[in-house]
Amino acid sequence: MNARTRRWAIPAVAGTLIVSALVAGRLNTTVGDLLMLTAAVVAGTPVVIKAYRALAVRVVGIDLLVAVAAIGAVAIRNFWEAAAVTFLFALGHSLESATLAKTRSALAELVALAPTTATVIRDGAQVEVPAHAVGVGETVIVKHGGRVPVDGTVTAGQAAVDEAAITGESIPAEKSPDDDVYAGTIVADGFLTLTATGVGADTTLARIIHRVEEAQDAKARTQQFMERFSKWYTPGIIVLSLVVGLATMNLELALTLLVIGCPGALVISVPVALVAGIGRAARDGVLIKGGEFLETAARIDVVALDKTGTITRGEPELISILARDGFSDDEVLSWAARAEAGSGHPLAVPVVAAARDRGLAVPAVPDDVRTVPGHGVVATVDSREVAVGNLALVGHEPWADQAADELSAAGLTPLLLALDGTVVGALGVADTIRDGARELVEELRAIGVKRVLMLTGDNQQVADAIARQVGIDEVRASLLPDDKLAVITDLQSQGHSVAMVGDGVNDAPALAVADVGIAMGAAGSPVAVETADIALMASRLDRIPHALGLAKRTVGVMRSNIVIALATVGALLAGVLFGGVTMAIGMLVHEASVLVVIVNAMRLLRPTPSPPSRVLASDPLELRSTQGLSVATRSEVSSSAT
Amino acid sequence: MLTTTTHTTLRAEGFSCPSCVAKIEKGLGQLPGVSAATVHFASARIEVDHDPAVTSVDDLVAAVGKLGYVARPSAF
Repeated sequence: MNARTRRWAIPAVAGTLIVSALVAGRLNTTVGDLLMLTAAVVAGTPVVIKAYRALAVRVVGIDLLVAVAAIGAVAIRNFWEAAAVTFLFALGHSLESATLAKTRSALAELVALAPTTATVIRDGAQVEVPAHAVGVGETVIVKHGGRVPVDGTVTAGQAAVDEAAITGESIPAEKSPDDDVYAGTIVADGFLTLTATGVGADTTLARIIHRVEEAQDAKARTQQFMERFSKWYTPGIIVLSLVVGLATMNLELALTLLVIGCPGALVISVPVALVAGIGRAARDGVLIKGGEFLETAARIDVVALDKTGTITRGEPELISILARDGFSDDEVLSWAARAEAGSGHPLAVPVVAAARDRGLAVPAVPDDVRTVPGHGVVATVDSREVAVGNLALVGHEPWADQAADELSAAGLTPLLLALDGTVVGALGVADTIRDGARELVEELRAIGVKRVLMLTGDNQQVADAIARQVGIDEVRASLLPDDKLAVITDLQSQGHSVAMVGDGVNDAPALAVADVGIAMGAAGSPVAVETADIALMASRLDRIPHALGLAKRTVGVMRSNIVIALATVGALLAGVLFGGVTMAIGMLVHEASVLVVIVNAMRLLRPTPSPPSRVLASDPLELRSTQGLSVATRSEVSSSAT
Repeated sequence: MLTTTTHTTLRAEGFSCPSCVAKIEKGLGQLPGVSAATVHFASARIEVDHDPAVTSVDDLVAAVGKLGYVARPSAF
């Protein structure tokens, strides 16, 4: 890298000249002065050129201040000051570019992941084309070790795909036909054929990069304040140095004031922290919308979690079957499955899947089916009327009430089955709880969250059973989407800052009204990536405290940086006006403060160790053993958890 | 006179102080065919609306280079 060597060449040459000038100056002042002047010219020439170029487009920048100060110092034959100021400025500048590049490294790594070429099947032959030239719908192949060039759906092949670029997840995800894959991920093992669904700027990776950049550029309130401050600070110092210079006729004092007029640390203190914090989060699969949201997230004291899809996987499973005398479990399951087949009811999936697992025949579509919204389905199967749904659908009667109570008490959602108007059985369905749900509450408390709530549309008994397992003590059940919103606004009116976590499907209004809306599993949802205040690319609960903790740490760095910058300015001003600070010391302190704020921000880039994610789903059977459910006529339905 | 304007994103390296923002914005704005130039300091991006027939992407990169910064065109 020739630019990199040049970056260090000037401070190195100037530094050597200054040292030799100090040595020579002891023997012969003229030689010493000459060497000092040469050092000032070597270090100062690029500054003067830059200042001139900025002036040409009518910009008064920091280079101009340093150039004027250095030329002035030469004019009053203070060669040491001129050399020291320009050398320190050049050295500081080189260090700053190197370290600032580091704070931007998180994003640079993401950009570097964007694949450049793709192997496409055209006219039956494999062709290598630029990644952005792939057409949507084309067939792309990715070989072992290759990088996925486009967003797409797998059509053939099996592979372990490293999705760290998108989700921050280090464990490869198994991909098989019909699974979605993302551009920028790596086929660690296997071979995939896919159909392109998104190309170039329309890939999840591009959207993430775009979101992160927008977030880094979005100005937080504190930053606007700092920028306003530095806007008047630099011209103010120039005027002050003119006034002081004319009043005291002390040119050296005026020049020293000019040097400390550089706004360096003031202007970069906030952005450097934002860039590092938001960049680090992105590498962990956490997208934060911008500085505003970091500041808000750092204040959060209440977290409300939607149950379905957030605390639970949103993939219900059939756990138990209750059959009335005269019916077998299989008969109950079979009738229910045949009625549910082809219905769009969310609880239809586990029922039909369980029937298939038991080898029961499930015809594709019942003769006639109608959905009763919020209650269940009524179908005609073999000319009998089959109703599957809640108590309201089948009507109250002692056996039905008791069965529903029993299942609910165990945290299961009851589905009752009626044949021609008579209840003959009940099915207990439960959603499986995500890994890390138990640790979640502890981790949230550890970062200063006072209250954790669970919101759900489910009934109170089911909600309580889930909450007990997770360790959440505040439950709001039987909520409609509008009720969730009301819970949030109510908490806010009590003076809390509320974060709402959901999957963005049926809790969008609550996510929007919360101080911080956190969307889970955003990798598959472009809308969530675009709109959520904080988008968690992976559906991992431990990312919630991780994101909030990182926000707190970033805001902490922002604040300490502001203090460092303002304190430096104050100390330098006082030091110059009351004597003691020379041009060289002023520049040294100034450059040091800039480096301190950068290094302070770089602390955020250190990866925070997150617990390894367990691959096994939490076992729904565990649920019942903890509940101690004893139903006389119960049989287990083992569904293969994959 | 019909002009076609395209939007080009350049990613730059070596932004170390925000005074370069105004410098690059004004420097690019003076080029013929450039209708708008925005420099984002935090993410080191330069966004330019320009007529590629008058000022090409390479010309933009060269102009940024003359102001003392290295930039590369980016697909998104």
